[in-house]
Amino acid sequence: MAPSVENLGVDESFDGPMISLRDLRVSYTGREILHGINFDVQRGETLVILGGSGSGKSTLLRTLVGLEKPTSGQVWIRGKNFSAISEVERDEIRKRLGMSFQGGALFGSMTVGENVALPLQEHTKLEPTTVEIMVRLKLDQVGLSGFEDFLPSQLSGGMKKRAAVARALAMDPEILFFDEPSAGLDPIIAAGIDQLILELKKAFHMTIIVVTHELASAFLIADRMVLINKGDVVALGTTEEMKTSKHPRVRQFLDRIPEPAVAQELDYLQMLTEPSSKSGEGRQGKSR
Amino acid sequence: MQIAARPATGGTILDITGDIDLAHSPAMRKALLQEIREKKTPKVFLNLEKVRYIDSSGIASLVEGLKASRDQGSRLILYGLSKTVREVMELSRLQKIFEIHDSEAQALAS
Amino acid sequence: MEFFGKIGSSVEGGLAYVGALTSLAGRAAYFTFIGPFQGKPLRFQRAVSQAMEAGVRALPILSLITFFIGLILALQAAYELRRFGAISFVASAVALSMTRELGPLITAVIVIGRSGSAFAAELGTMRVSEEIDALETMAINPVSFLVAPKFIAMILMLPCLTIWANFMGILGGSLFGVAQADFTFPRYIIASLDALFMRDVVTGLIKSFMFGVTITAVGCLEGLNTTGGAEQVGRSTTRAVVMSIFLVILVDLVFTMLFYFLGEH
Repeated sequence: MAPSVENLGVDESFDGPMISLRDLRVSYTGREILHGINFDVQRGETLVILGGSGSGKSTLLRTLVGLEKPTSGQVWIRGKNFSAISEVERDEIRKRLGMSFQGGALFGSMTVGENVALPLQEHTKLEPTTVEIMVRLKLDQVGLSGFEDFLPSQLSGGMKKRAAVARALAMDPEILFFDEPSAGLDPIIAAGIDQLILELKKAFHMTIIVVTHELASAFLIADRMVLINKGDVVALGTTEEMKTSKHPRVRQFLDRIPEPAVAQELDYLQMLTEPSSKSGEGRQGKSR
Repeated sequence: MQIAARPATGGTILDITGDIDLAHSPAMRKALLQEIREKKTPKVFLNLEKVRYIDSSGIASLVEGLKASRDQGSRLILYGLSKTVREVMELSRLQKIFEIHDSEAQALAS
Repeated sequence: MEFFGKIGSSVEGGLAYVGALTSLAGRAAYFTFIGPFQGKPLRFQRAVSQAMEAGVRALPILSLITFFIGLILALQAAYELRRFGAISFVASAVALSMTRELGPLITAVIVIGRSGSAFAAELGTMRVSEEIDALETMAINPVSFLVAPKFIAMILMLPCLTIWANFMGILGGSLFGVAQADFTFPRYIIASLDALFMRDVVTGLIKSFMFGVTITAVGCLEGLNTTGGAEQVGRSTTRAVVMSIFLVILVDLVFTMLFYFLGEH
């Protein structure tokens, strides 16, 4: 049977949490990156995932959209165990998700307009004229009117990112995922993306998950925040709770206190002179 | 989503019930364009009172309808927009481009 | 003992690699032949543009090279044949070696250089820039969207290119035949065609079909398996070319042996 588009709109009949994580563990080349993550995200909520580089926050996001497989534990999306369902069912859920990648991940061989139109052409039976108008509406929403015939290579970094947001919005997703939406953007454009996130939440009641380390942006858009450090949830709470939290890690992150220097000279000496483990191992975890 | 047409002074009212989403907007588009292009109805009223949700494919279909009515020299009038539908319109900066009224009486009087 | 251990593990690695190639080709075949009946779109348009790139645009360089190869074959064959006063056999020697072996092989090598490497580079770049991930999150299967059209294009275009290569090789041989072996051009062509049986052409085409599958599978697999950054794309491309050439020769050997023993009867 052909995958249907019957139920693609907002399905209010499902009223449980949009996302639930149950003791989620993810390993990458034998190293555990996430050590048992638990939290729920409700419909219409904006959750910001905070964490330093190498904290595992990007891996968490990739696992949420099904790009990484959990080694144990579960990801529930709209009441379905994302890692235990069939490919067809997973694709049906994915049609309701939008993901904006950090570098844009636009298809280099297609124009900006074709990029935004692609999911619509693949998954719907809309007329080409309708798709064209939708593409222009989406590009207008991200401030890229008139750029539909440009190739991604002709756009600046910030424009690529906005085009990627437009593509993520193409199917009017119920859950929108952002990987570092404002990294590398100038402050005005970054503020524009924050504004767009707020508008989408208001107009479409979208559930939005944002991975970022931009604190100003995080406090502006978030309903709740979760701080990840070394693969563990350190703190989870509303923006207010986070602001007033006395947890040392939260304070360190929010007040931008640098990691303390290695205290013991002996440890430092040992660290410098320790025989290296097998080459290559250190590189794997990077940027994951 | 269901569409029902009924005559009104100077034109036709299309009553829409349900969600206008990716799956249903093609049907609305078809009905709308048929009314405007083929039947050449001078005034098409779109009753959105019973529309809970409209997505961007629905908005795009409305835009196509509006364009068609401008080409025909006829009018497309929307009324009864819920708060959600109005917000989606505003997000697309279309609330000023469409002719929008609060109620059927106002729309018919316009 | 360690020596045998190494052989064992590399045989194991080789089998795993062939397994991965087969699995990729199998999934592509699924999306080509079964998918369309299950409501999954067959991306005909994408296959056509791939066929243009891999096939039609290869014609100039392929023509030139196979023309030269035909000429070289004629020269090499005549060197030996003239000692026996059998220089008129040069036409059949060229025709047979082109259609049975060198036509398919040279075509494959050129297509590896042009398209196999391009597949690895394209998919590798898409992998490292998260475009493949983006496809997956959009519920678009990368094998269906990217790999299957390449398979369709290649298994259609490689036999076509091979026929053209055979023709150009014979043309190259005729240059020598006319200039040095007292042939007229029509007589050279007739002598070539007389030397060929349908079997020679068909075995060559079967091989070229298999080469098409091999080149696409290797190029796409190397591309999809790219990890890390942009510098790894270059490495994948190189690996794709080397592995393709090796596997094409291996496939060639297997099928040539097969045809040899089948042809005995």
